[in-house]
Formats: sequence, structure tokens, C-alpha cells
Amino acid sequence: MDLEEIKNQWDKMSKDIKKQKILTDKLIIDMTQEKYNNKLKLISIPETIGTVICFAGAIYIFINFGKLDTWYMQLSGLFTALFCIILPILSLRSIFGMQKLDMSNNNYKQSIEKFAKSKKQFVLIQKVSFYLSFILVLVCLPVAGKLMNNKDLFLESKVWLWYIPFGFVFLYVISRWVFKKYKRATTSAENLLKELETL
Amino acid sequence: MQNQQEFIKIIKENEGIIFKITLTYAYTKEHQKDLYQEIVYQLWKSFGSFKGDSKISTWIYRVALNTSITHLKKEQKKGKTIQFEKVLLNKIDHIDTLMDERIQLLYRHIKLLNTIEKGIILLFLEGKNYNEISEITGFTPTNVGTRLNRIKQKLKSQIIK
Repeated sequence: MDLEEIKNQWDKMSKDIKKQKILTDKLIIDMTQEKYNNKLKLISIPETIGTVICFAGAIYIFINFGKLDTWYMQLSGLFTALFCIILPILSLRSIFGMQKLDMSNNNYKQSIEKFAKSKKQFVLIQKVSFYLSFILVLVCLPVAGKLMNNKDLFLESKVWLWYIPFGFVFLYVISRWVFKKYKRATTSAENLLKELETL
Repeated sequence: MQNQQEFIKIIKENEGIIFKITLTYAYTKEHQKDLYQEIVYQLWKSFGSFKGDSKISTWIYRVALNTSITHLKKEQKKGKTIQFEKVLLNKIDHIDTLMDERIQLLYRHIKLLNTIEKGIILLFLEGKNYNEISEITGFTPTNVGTRLNRIKQKLKSQIIK
């Protein structure tokens, strides 16, 4: 099948499609209603719920910050609280950035460029969050132990005997899966950007 | 209301364009249906700011192609079941059965192209000249020509394989 033939087939298909009327007035009106546009919002729902939980955690830490009576507990508390505030905000910002492209005024090239860059940024934030979560695993339990039961878990060796191996094995298993996903996403965004530059 | 009637008229006149674009970018029927709705929604959102500087079809191609790039694969996520979605899905199915085997084969090959190439070949097959493709995509007419030659070669070798 050469290109002329392809083009002829395409024209024939276009004529057939033109005859097939899919849309009714009601269908079009329904599609313009934002309430039906729920799929796009679903993407950010887990992130939004996660952010609310993180904020609640951070507020709890700040309110009870006085209970953290040693320098290492205060440092751990501060790290946990900041992690819970900054990273979800950055993550949500990049998700909304990807969704907020100007569909009407940007041309195809600009949209691809902006989308690929936002995607790269999003993956980078996820990556940083992931690395930092290794530290979070270490510090959040003692902070919770101190705030909830007034116990200094840093001084209790028994807890660490199971918590550290379990925590790191868990993170290692997840990281293998997550990094494959990140690598694929970054590579596709980078390829797209490279392709934009080639002639 | 007048605005809405005008919009409905435009969409009905150009629904074939939207259909062909969704077929090019979507991976599954579900995805195609979602993308179709998303494109109509985005067109409606920007309809108010459309000043008529370009042709209606140019505006539709631009919004539809931009939406297709950014429309993430959400088919795995379960949304509410809405009656009109089923209607749309049934109609998409119906058109599919009318399609020539060769066109289905062509679509399979176009789907293998990268995002940039998909947009350019689609506009070419839609009968747009280099300047029109350039206006919609933002690539210079020369660049469009070069890319188009490469796409033709790619398609040829894919189909011959």
C-alpha cells in the first residue's frame, strides 16, 4: 500500500465517517458539563487525599512540638513535618501544571514541549520524594512514638531490630518497581523533547 | 444559549475530525471514549475565547491535538458510569465495524509513530497543506516537509515488513 493509496483510503473513510452522525444535541451538552469530566480529576484524587493526610500529620507535629524534648527528636519532627508539607505541594503543583496547558492558544509543538517538561519535573519530584522517604521511614516512627506514647524509640533497640530490616526490605521491593516506571516516563519525555529539536 | 447552539452546530459539523483524532491517539475503546469527551469539553472551554482569527477546523485540530497529547491514560481508573458514555461507546463500536481492513491496518501503523509524527501525518491525510500543518503544529513548513518525508519512509517500511 503506497501513500497515494493510503490517502485515497483515508478520504473514503472520512466520507463514511461524515455520514455516521454520532452526536446528538444532548450528548454534546452533557460533554460540556464539568461534572461529567470526572476522569481528569480522578488522577489527582489520590494525591489530594494524600496531601490532606500529610497536612494533618504536619499540623499534629507542630501543635505537639513541645513534647519533642531532645535535639534529635526535634530534628526528626521538623524533617517529618516539612516532608509532609513541601513534597505533596510540589507534587500537586506539577500534576496541575500538566493539566493546565492552554489547549487553544498553544500550538502542537508548544504543548508537547510544555507537557514533556512538566512530566520530567513531575518524575523528578517523585524521585526526590522517594529518596527522602528512606529517611522518613527512619525518623517518623520515633516521632510518632514520642508524641503518642511519650517513648523515645531511638533508645529502644528492640524496635529497630525488626523495624529497620522490615522497612528497608519493603522500600527496596517497591523501589525496584517504582524506578522502572520512572525510567520509562523520563525516557519517553526526553525522547519527545529530543525529537522536537531534530530536523 | 445562542452560544451553546452555535457550539453544538460546529461540533456536529466536525464530529468526524474528532473521531479520527481519538482513533489515532487512543489505545482502547474506553480511552477513545474518554478522549472524545475530553476534546469536546476542552473545545467548549475555549469556545468563548475563539475569536475567529483562524478557520474553525484549524481551531478544532489545534485543541483536539493538544488535548490528545495531555490526555493521560486513565482507562484503568474507574469513573462513575454515566449513561451517555455507553451511548458514545456503542456508536464508536458501530463506526469501527464499518471500517475497511486496510484502514484498520493503517491506524495500527500510525499508532506506532511517536506523538509528533502522529499529529503531522494525521493532518497530512486530512488534506492539509504544509502551511496549514505549520499553523496548527508550530513547526515551520520546511520542517513539516522534512518530517513528513521521514514519516512516509517509516510507514512504508513498517507496512512492507
